[in-house]
Amino acid sequence: MSVPRIFDRRRVRQRRDRSAALAEPANFLHQEVAARVAERLLEVRRRHERVLDLGARECALRAVLPAESADMVVACDLSHAWLARSGGTARVVADEELLPFAPASFDAVVARMSLHWVNDLPGALAQLVGLLRPDGLLLAAFPGGETLHELRAALLQAELDIRGGGSPRISPVVDLRDAAALLQRVGLALPVADLDRITVSYADPLRLLSDLQGMGESGGLVAHGGPLRRDVLARALELYRRDHSDTDGRVRATFDIIFATGWRPHESQPRPRPRGSAQVGLGEALGRPPTASGQ
Amino acid sequence: MTEPPRPAAIDPRLLEILVCPLTKGPLRYDRDAQELISEQAGLAFPIRDGIPIMLVDEARPLDEADRIPDEVRR
Repeated sequence: MSVPRIFDRRRVRQRRDRSAALAEPANFLHQEVAARVAERLLEVRRRHERVLDLGARECALRAVLPAESADMVVACDLSHAWLARSGGTARVVADEELLPFAPASFDAVVARMSLHWVNDLPGALAQLVGLLRPDGLLLAAFPGGETLHELRAALLQAELDIRGGGSPRISPVVDLRDAAALLQRVGLALPVADLDRITVSYADPLRLLSDLQGMGESGGLVAHGGPLRRDVLARALELYRRDHSDTDGRVRATFDIIFATGWRPHESQPRPRPRGSAQVGLGEALGRPPTASGQ
Repeated sequence: MTEPPRPAAIDPRLLEILVCPLTKGPLRYDRDAQELISEQAGLAFPIRDGIPIMLVDEARPLDEADRIPDEVRR
């Protein structure tokens, strides 16, 4: 119970609900991540009976997965408004921090762009591992690394320039090394974490801000230092244009998406033998003639 | 967004794996009220548009009238 409260979960939900109500919510990043997640899931040549899609939004995973790869995809999101945008029967509104599923319910759990808003990431991951059957697959994709470093720097510098002090405006994120360590910490076998950089080009940084709102990916921090002042915003946009423009005058925005996978341990999985249990010398295994000193 | 009550389109396979988010205990499906009831937590989770809302914030606290009579419960 001593987990620091970084995110205001109620506000995270409100922002996400609000973005779903837009005529054209900004969807491209989540769609792209859904496609990449599906690709990774399909690399596992296995038919899944039940898959959990956490952070489902418009049930995008079900839309991109071939029907024969899974019998049932349960679409789960914090926002009713997002789930209600699509059809389908297996939809559930739930909080990633308090999931309503029985243990070992799923062959695969996909957490798509939702774990970056939980206060207790190790706790949430451990819950997800508990939802897997033995030998079940966890596949989590979330922004990490240097995500939005341009905006983070511009906002901080603008607040320093105008107010003489800064407060965080962009969520803290996990870096790749920590992600891999987390997977091991929650007891997953064969953990792998890698990072895809998605660079988005905008005509103006203001479009990026409106996209973040349109994604429902804004304003979830508890300690956000109050509303952004108009003059601070103007300065931040100016700095953004100055420091992160391409030669064609457009600005860049970096999204580093971490893809973390691991398996719930099962005896069928490969694992190293105990040290000293080898029956064959290394030299022999490498095809070298035995030497006197090697014995 | 209020709609007249209609038969829920909840996948029975989904009901099989849903538990109370707070107690991880079993849920009772009340088709008429469109609620999933956690006796242990004393909460009724609403189902809107066929989507169970398993958030403690949105749940209705149970009162005595909601309890199953003893003879039914066995």
